Amino acid sequence: MNEMKMTGFQPDDPNEDPLISVRDLHVRFSTPKGPVHAVRGVSFDLRRERLGIVGESGSGKSQTGRALLRLTAGNGTIDASRMMFDGMDLMKAGAKTMRSIRGSQISMIMQDPKYSLNPVLTVGTQIAESCRRHENVSRPEARKRALAMLETVRIREPEKVYSLYPHQVSGGMGQRIMIAMMLITNPKVMIADEPTSALDVTVQMQVLSLLDDMVRERGMGLVLISHDLNLVSSFCDRVLVMYGGRIMETLDAKHLDRAQHPYTKGLLNCLPRLDGKHDDLPVLKRDPAWLNETQDLAGEAGRR
Amino acid sequence: MIDIENLGIVFGSGKSQIAAVKNVNLQVAEGESYGIVGESGSGKSTVLRAMVGIYSHWTGTIRIAGEPLKAKRSVSSRKHMQMVFQDPYGSLHPRRTVDDTLSEPLIIHGLKNREDRVLKILKEVGLGPEFRFRYPHQLSGGQRQRVAIARALILEPRVILLDEPTSALDVSVQAEILNLLSALRKTHGLTYIMVSHDLAVVGHLCSRIAVMNRGEVVEEMSEEQMRSGDVQHDYTRQLWTASQGYDRAALETFKEFA
Repeated sequence: MNEMKMTGFQPDDPNEDPLISVRDLHVRFSTPKGPVHAVRGVSFDLRRERLGIVGESGSGKSQTGRALLRLTAGNGTIDASRMMFDGMDLMKAGAKTMRSIRGSQISMIMQDPKYSLNPVLTVGTQIAESCRRHENVSRPEARKRALAMLETVRIREPEKVYSLYPHQVSGGMGQRIMIAMMLITNPKVMIADEPTSALDVTVQMQVLSLLDDMVRERGMGLVLISHDLNLVSSFCDRVLVMYGGRIMETLDAKHLDRAQHPYTKGLLNCLPRLDGKHDDLPVLKRDPAWLNETQDLAGEAGRR
Repeated sequence: MIDIENLGIVFGSGKSQIAAVKNVNLQVAEGESYGIVGESGSGKSTVLRAMVGIYSHWTGTIRIAGEPLKAKRSVSSRKHMQMVFQDPYGSLHPRRTVDDTLSEPLIIHGLKNREDRVLKILKEVGLGPEFRFRYPHQLSGGQRQRVAIARALILEPRVILLDEPTSALDVSVQAEILNLLSALRKTHGLTYIMVSHDLAVVGHLCSRIAVMNRGEVVEEMSEEQMRSGDVQHDYTRQLWTASQGYDRAALETFKEFA
């Protein structure tokens, strides 16, 4: 059981097929300085749940999220023994099929709304565009749905906000608009890559509650990628902890204190705590052996 | 050590005039570590920038060790107060070596024994002499922030102003930098003012914390209050609750503070 936990597997639930099933995912980049192996054999299943992926910079968490949509940069290659989404093999899907999946079936929210919204189009136009791109609807119909969506993401006076440009909205509102844009097509899976890192804590909570409601009401699967272990564990159902392109440990978010792996424990300990004292924080010591141990386990799991 | 009375800063004019900081008072004793928390736009960084002289059009009085600061600073008065900025990727000159970066303040202030001082300060911030001739792109984020701290410290100031010194770093690196900062404060008897949006980080390093909202200090709390969450002002309580992690029930009580 413990071994299954370590590799990110959960016993198959007979009632529900996983929305996304990934086995032995590798992402490699060829750079002028030589090859970089960013993701090394990641395996996990996503059901209708909130799955968190936590790691420090360079752990491969974002590349894992991007690989699901095959959005890896041009110099990168993706390898996996299995990458299924809702019965479709994402590894075999052509460029055209991928385009129809991106945004309409699996959508992605990026970190900073300042850079992910088009600065020369009003936010309403952008939401409506997302709707028209994936579904055959008329302009007035798309506008109506965009306004309804703005209301769903709890924006007051949607009519007014519809005609604003991205620079006229605050960070929290920008992120709500991003969420509206991503949800208007009713996707089955949402990948949120650090959706709240650029926001203030209270706004962060409000945006998360919005994602929470959407997941509950629409029965979506959510992948939340973040560097903030505490935030992710208080929000998600299950947490994957990544380091060096590998999954170190899969945890039930409610039982973070039961973490077994020294990396997870180290990450938890080095956070300053609100109720803590002023003593020196324990510093995380990295063990190079971590990079190999999970690979062995992943190999075993693959054979099973 | 630091005595700020009635500090105010206004940006813009006419219709678009914004009072970024209104009527801020704070006293920090020598060797104390004082924290300012607030959300973006609360004016917390602006207070530091006024103190260090980046903004000169403030009103009110700022006294450092009894000396009132004027809008125009002399070179020697700048020596006593140094600042560490948020983003070590932006605050170090990309085409200057660590040695150049650390020597420049010494040249400006006409200090001798530059080589000795640079080597000594590198050692103090936990970097070896091998880092002396490296460029910023050859350093990791944590090492860069150590260089930025070394640059502030090399003039042997009495006050260091820290503007979100760890928010661009990974949590494990953040722990190292926080440990370094508290060790340096003990050995040099420095006075810190640290600004952050992260209540836990400020609470770790500071013994008193001011909470700012919309340019005003709404509450000053002690470390005991911060640990227990026994705070007076609603805004502080909301911030404290939000810092505890995602809690659906608590969220319903959140409101806007204007």
